Amino acid sequence: MTRTSWLVPALLIASVLALFGACLLGSTPMSPARVLSAFVGGADAADRLVIWQIRLPRALAAYLVGAALGISGAALQGLLRNPLAEPGVLGVSASASLAATFSLYYGLAAASPWILPMAAIFGALIATSLIAVAAIRTQSVVTLILIGVGLSSFAGAAMSLLMNLAPNPFSLSDMINWMLGSVANRSFKEIGFAFPFILVGSAILMMSRRGLSALTLGEEAASGVGLDLRRQRILTVLGAGLATGGSVALGGAIGFVGIVAPHIIRPFVGHDPARSLIPSAMLAGLILVLADIGVRILPSSNELKLGVVAALIGAPAFVWIAMRRRAIND
Amino acid sequence: MTEIIAKNLSLTKDSATLLQGASFTLKPRQLIALLGPNGAGKTSLIRTTLGLEKRSSGTVSLGGTDSEALSPMERARRVAYLPQQRPLAWPNSVRDVVALGRFAYGAAPGRLNPRDAQAVNTALELCDLTDLTNRHTDTLSGGEVARVHCARAFAAEAPLLIADEPVAALDPRQQFRIMDIIQAYVDRGGGALVVLHDIPLAAKYASHLIWMQDGRIAAEGPPEETLTVQRMADIYGVRAHIDGRKVEIEGAI
Repeated sequence: MTRTSWLVPALLIASVLALFGACLLGSTPMSPARVLSAFVGGADAADRLVIWQIRLPRALAAYLVGAALGISGAALQGLLRNPLAEPGVLGVSASASLAATFSLYYGLAAASPWILPMAAIFGALIATSLIAVAAIRTQSVVTLILIGVGLSSFAGAAMSLLMNLAPNPFSLSDMINWMLGSVANRSFKEIGFAFPFILVGSAILMMSRRGLSALTLGEEAASGVGLDLRRQRILTVLGAGLATGGSVALGGAIGFVGIVAPHIIRPFVGHDPARSLIPSAMLAGLILVLADIGVRILPSSNELKLGVVAALIGAPAFVWIAMRRRAIND
Repeated sequence: MTEIIAKNLSLTKDSATLLQGASFTLKPRQLIALLGPNGAGKTSLIRTTLGLEKRSSGTVSLGGTDSEALSPMERARRVAYLPQQRPLAWPNSVRDVVALGRFAYGAAPGRLNPRDAQAVNTALELCDLTDLTNRHTDTLSGGEVARVHCARAFAAEAPLLIADEPVAALDPRQQFRIMDIIQAYVDRGGGALVVLHDIPLAAKYASHLIWMQDGRIAAEGPPEETLTVQRMADIYGVRAHIDGRKVEIEGAI
């Protein structure tokens, strides 16, 4: 068996187990038998309610948010040829949350449930396009990450401004939910409004993944072997924007998972960006489901935010990856 | 028969003239060395010829089609291009990098049909990389990496090759190895345009020399005709001793 052939099945099994585990654990632990019978419509009504209305949607939301960030991170890393690229670091998630909160607190989102995810995607697309345009002008990823820092700071400041100016009541905890990310109290309805965007974005990334492999050679040689650079940039920006926007609409801005998952996956797929997309998505989903289980069972008076746990694991990993990079690849 | 016919190429960028009235032809079984000092316009000539840079005027026929009208994939099937900057973003295996040469045929690393796999294997053999196929590129020496890039270019099995300084920063033995590989490609019926800074190397291998200066082609022809003491002085500002195809550079003027 080659190294890659067991990777996806193993991740699939682990993901199913994690999702099932997320249904077992919680403030009232349930036995596997009770969870299983609730799944198939047996058990008592309270059990079914807990599983179908609370635990399963929450776990699925965590998985979807993670998967969208994982595939976007892997694709952006391929496009920018750098392992530090990721929606959170590049300011894409923060811009998406800003646009989402804007739509929410200026009452636009009340018009249709589709407005919120579309606003988040709009914010994400603006940020990804900015990054992609900047990437044409500079080869330095440090510059891109600094632009990301700028975008994130701007989004944070603008959100504080919104908080002061918005006509609708806007609480600090709302803002923290968007900026740090959480999948608490998500329902299948909310998942339904974000999922199509995540799906389409991921499909675009998968469809254009071959070009990411070609970009390994650098842009000049990639065009030399037959890559349409402009088209590749547009498709990756669009795909990552849709997927990240959808994930932010569902769970707010959760950082770093899009760096950690592809980094772990890469050696298993021969460092090929194209082949890292699906496994990165699965691993990132798995990580967030596990992190969310941690959030739920940690005994704390106020529930921790999922994004906080993700950053506690992810930020040190980011620093570690950054420090190990050789200066020449800058 | 695929050939490049470039006529009267000019390139102006931000009011700087990078290329002016350059014409040349690259045919099968030709090994053209493109010579000239830094900034003479060699890379501009290559990029404009390929259609990677939009020309200000002139025409380029690449196998009968205007090079700017070709899709990137169609172009890649007619001419393999080895740019000056050859970064490798990830430490892929040698086989996977060479497999990228099949991109224009719809292949990708790990997804090669038998035809692609055969082309990759042949390219690996031609460049003497069969013992290194599973090595990761970050563990290779400079000479080995240069051969990987050559193999990547040959994997496309394109009738023409354009290489921008393929032997830069290599030791003499590795330079000869790369030039031998390109020579063998030309002997098999390929046509190659190669930017070189090493005049003795160019004189040894090339069937034609194109001399560039200040965005123009100053001279063109076989080494026996165009390699002269006067030309070395005009183009490079060096004193040289020349005996047929043998060149000895004695110093700056």
